[in-house]
Amino acid sequence: MQSPGRGLRLPSLRRVRAAWPWVLLLAAVLGVRLSKGAFLSDAYALLSRPFWPGSAQSEWLRAAQQLDQQTRLEQLEADNRRLRELLELQAGSVELLSAPVISRQAQGWWQQLVIGRGSLQGLASGDAVLAPGGLLGRVVSVTPSTATVTLLTDTSSRVGVWVGRVRHHGMLVGQGSDRPLLRFIQQDVGVRPGDLVTTSPASTLLPPNLTVGVVQSVNDKAVPAPEAVVQLSAPVEAIDWVQVQVQVQVAGR
Amino acid sequence: MSGLARQRWTLATVLLVPLLVLAAPAPLRLAGVPPSWAVLWLLPWALADGPLSGALLGAVLGLLLDSLHPGPLTQLPVLVLMGWWWGRLGRRGAPIERSFSLGLLALLGTALLGASLALQQLLWGLSSAATVHTLLAQTLLTGLLAPMLCSLQLLLWRQLAPGLRS
Repeated sequence: MQSPGRGLRLPSLRRVRAAWPWVLLLAAVLGVRLSKGAFLSDAYALLSRPFWPGSAQSEWLRAAQQLDQQTRLEQLEADNRRLRELLELQAGSVELLSAPVISRQAQGWWQQLVIGRGSLQGLASGDAVLAPGGLLGRVVSVTPSTATVTLLTDTSSRVGVWVGRVRHHGMLVGQGSDRPLLRFIQQDVGVRPGDLVTTSPASTLLPPNLTVGVVQSVNDKAVPAPEAVVQLSAPVEAIDWVQVQVQVQVAGR
Repeated sequence: MSGLARQRWTLATVLLVPLLVLAAPAPLRLAGVPPSWAVLWLLPWALADGPLSGALLGAVLGLLLDSLHPGPLTQLPVLVLMGWWWGRLGRRGAPIERSFSLGLLALLGTALLGASLALQQLLWGLSSAATVHTLLAQTLLTGLLAPMLCSLQLLLWRQLAPGLRS
């Protein structure tokens, strides 16, 4: 038979000592619960780090992105050609003709170069000259087998260009050094370093939408309008071969 | 409370449960649903270590798993209840070791856990068609995995804490 008062007996010291680790554990887990499992998520992130998507996955993603961009570019180019034909902005089609650089003088390194193709191959004054990366200059004179190209960096070079992000035209002026200057007509153009500079989409003198370079720095305080220094995308200082966009007139136009 | 809980590092294996819940390894999923890792860990522990340890570890697991989900749903009451129940089963009669028994206990436990979550979803207005799908897939998968995983754990606990009943 149970002795009276047994139910009121306090737990023994031994039991309390045995229970305190459990209380501590439950308190710790309650802390985890209240912190919304922050410790667990961090521990999981640390342990699973070796299995995170690595370089292989990012390469696949990059390849897929490149393929996507290439396809879109081809589609847009085809679309652009069709629309330009509708607008009759460009009466003829163009073809690219490769030409070797046969002469480049140290005195006029940033001014001009001579290429080994001339009027016999269909070159004409005003043709755009491209290098890997973008526009390089324009043909200023031709002989039957050679052509002289004025580079964009030449002080006499004046080319109308377009900054697509802010939708503003500007004039690219050669400075006789490796970086030409982009002069704007309006104030507050909003151009900033990193903006892509291309030939104007509505250009008829030069092929439209050709990459020219990237804005390197902007001088907003220039008078009368802002100016920007442009880093050309074509490596002007190291050119062996160029491509000339030869205008091919379409019969009946 | 017997020897298992006194060995601190065996207690630390409870942390594997939330980590496995977070990892949700793809080969161990049925129709996109992982097994109930809490049931797979708690069942052999409670069978080996008794009702009090089972209930306490059920509470620990419940708090850990609830912390991983931002919603109002909780697994704590059912895990405490099952920890207690399985602990009592382990203390009574012959030790539960047979694959069928382990599978059946895990199946019932998971079904109860899933049903409690479904009921809470219903009460909170969070119920969806996925509830039944999750419940069925998780119950089935846990029941299938339990004979193998729980037997291995029972064997391990027995080696670590000699003198246990199962």
